[in-house]
Amino acid sequence: MTDAKQPDAKQPDAKQLAAKQEEAVDPSAPVTGMDYFMKLEYHELLCPVVREFADALMDKRLIGHKCPKCGLIYSPPRGYCPICTVQTTKADEIEIQTHGIVTNYTVVTPVQYYGQEETEPFAKVSLQLDGGGTLSLQDLPGVPVEQVHPGMRVEIVWAPDDERHVDDVTNRSWGSAEGAIRGWKPTGEADADPSEYSDKTF
Amino acid sequence: MSSQPAAVIGIGQTKHKKKRDDVSLPGLVREAAQRALDDAELNWTDIDAVVLGKAPDPFEGVMMPELSMADALGANGKPMMRVHTAGSVGGSTALVATHLVQTGVHERVLTVAYEKQAEGNAQWGLAGGRSGGMGAGGIFAPWMRTYINKSGAPEDIGWKVAVKDRQNACKNPYAHLHLPDISIEKVKESPMLWDPIHFLESCPSSDGAVAMVLTNEAGAKKAPRKPAWVLGTAMRSELGTFPGRDTVRPLAGVECAHMVYDAAGITNPREQIDIAELYVPFSWYEPMWLEGHDIAGPGEGWRMVEDGSTQITGDFPVNPSGGVLSSNPIGASGMLRFAEAALQVRGEAGEHQVADAHVGLAQAYGGAAQYFAMWVVGSSLDAVDAKK
Ligand SMILES: [Zn+2]
Repeated sequence: MTDAKQPDAKQPDAKQLAAKQEEAVDPSAPVTGMDYFMKLEYHELLCPVVREFADALMDKRLIGHKCPKCGLIYSPPRGYCPICTVQTTKADEIEIQTHGIVTNYTVVTPVQYYGQEETEPFAKVSLQLDGGGTLSLQDLPGVPVEQVHPGMRVEIVWAPDDERHVDDVTNRSWGSAEGAIRGWKPTGEADADPSEYSDKTF
Repeated sequence: MSSQPAAVIGIGQTKHKKKRDDVSLPGLVREAAQRALDDAELNWTDIDAVVLGKAPDPFEGVMMPELSMADALGANGKPMMRVHTAGSVGGSTALVATHLVQTGVHERVLTVAYEKQAEGNAQWGLAGGRSGGMGAGGIFAPWMRTYINKSGAPEDIGWKVAVKDRQNACKNPYAHLHLPDISIEKVKESPMLWDPIHFLESCPSSDGAVAMVLTNEAGAKKAPRKPAWVLGTAMRSELGTFPGRDTVRPLAGVECAHMVYDAAGITNPREQIDIAELYVPFSWYEPMWLEGHDIAGPGEGWRMVEDGSTQITGDFPVNPSGGVLSSNPIGASGMLRFAEAALQVRGEAGEHQVADAHVGLAQAYGGAAQYFAMWVVGSSLDAVDAKK
């Protein structure tokens, strides 16, 4: 079995639980509810084409499938083009370039739900990679959120060899693979012409 | 498609609020269902089947609630099914109930949708329990920015929608948010949640439920109050992400709209629809759907907001109930659109009634704007023809 190891689901944190109990200070107030923490641990087998995508990430390569009919590039590959409803195979595999354009972005103000570790606003970007291929929900580590904008030219930042993993790659991934790709960094080149990205939001 | 007409003869909803800690989950759905039955002057035993809808189970942490709710919904010994299409679920649930009547499978169907957000944490659910969750707003924000850039809409359009829907909500006693002091300034100065979406341009998190009783022509003729006739239904879906997808104007939304217009005999939606309840959880979706459903031409949706057309007194009122921006029990939010459109054509919307509303459009969308459900309801079976 070659499936990726899933990280352990987070256990309730003693500090967070204590803080919750602190909130219920009025002993005379009726009890209308109580927190109940659940944990569901499961291992997901990656389908063969996603497995190949994950293996390529470990080799610091991005791969995708190019539909033989319409030419759209899917990365991660799906093994089919859902628009043409045709199968894609190893023969349709192509290497995706690791540099491209930020086509759009969101700055998220993190909501403090249980398990949230983000405390400051962070940006996620959509990328159009040179030569074709798109990725969503990518990070630009170290770039102040107010500097993130469409048209930025960026290149990949791989996680160091001894830290790189693909535990977070799933069959439903939109291309996020934080264990392997640290994020993307600006190349310093001039911004791309808006006509190259203005319609590409993904 | 329909082999026989279907009509809404009973509508009930709860007061939507941040936390309904006075009722359990079954208590919440039963409250809405009982009100719908009372409205139709029917008893639980008169119902042939129950169709239930809600958003993903992790939002409350109660798995397969349709099993434990059978009792509360009087479904023992009757067909009961649960529908799930993410945020559009309230709409598609109502449509499944409608189709059961139209096809003659059942005579009287009770349909119910709910969410009790305070019982769980929807942000946790959406993030799959992981850190760094984007929230729905984080997914939609870039698409809104693309709309703004492409259409040249001024930035105050989103603020105007946010104010209009909250002003409408003040006329709806069931709405969660009642913000009589809402203003453009307040929206603009509220915290930025997902650039370009401000806090006051976003939907609240609500507990609430809604229910309807649907029946056939014979049942509608016996109903104590005016029925709302279902003139057309449509559902469409598409992939949430693929290269080249038009995220601002998803094809499934365009096709769903044309399917429902054709079914209802609508040839000019702007002229022939009197009121629309559209799923607008973030303000910019009002102009986006006006264009995405071909009610307005490309780049014209925001002008309908700007010139006041979508106000309750305008020529194309959108969300006179206050919409999702004012009440968002997620699973129920879609069905609330459908129920509110029905209330309007029955002339029973109370203080938020639109004058002379004979044809109503309701829409719900879900997922990454990839599921769509719509219906057109009328005050009579020939309500659309009467406008030609
Ligand atoms: Zn194709």
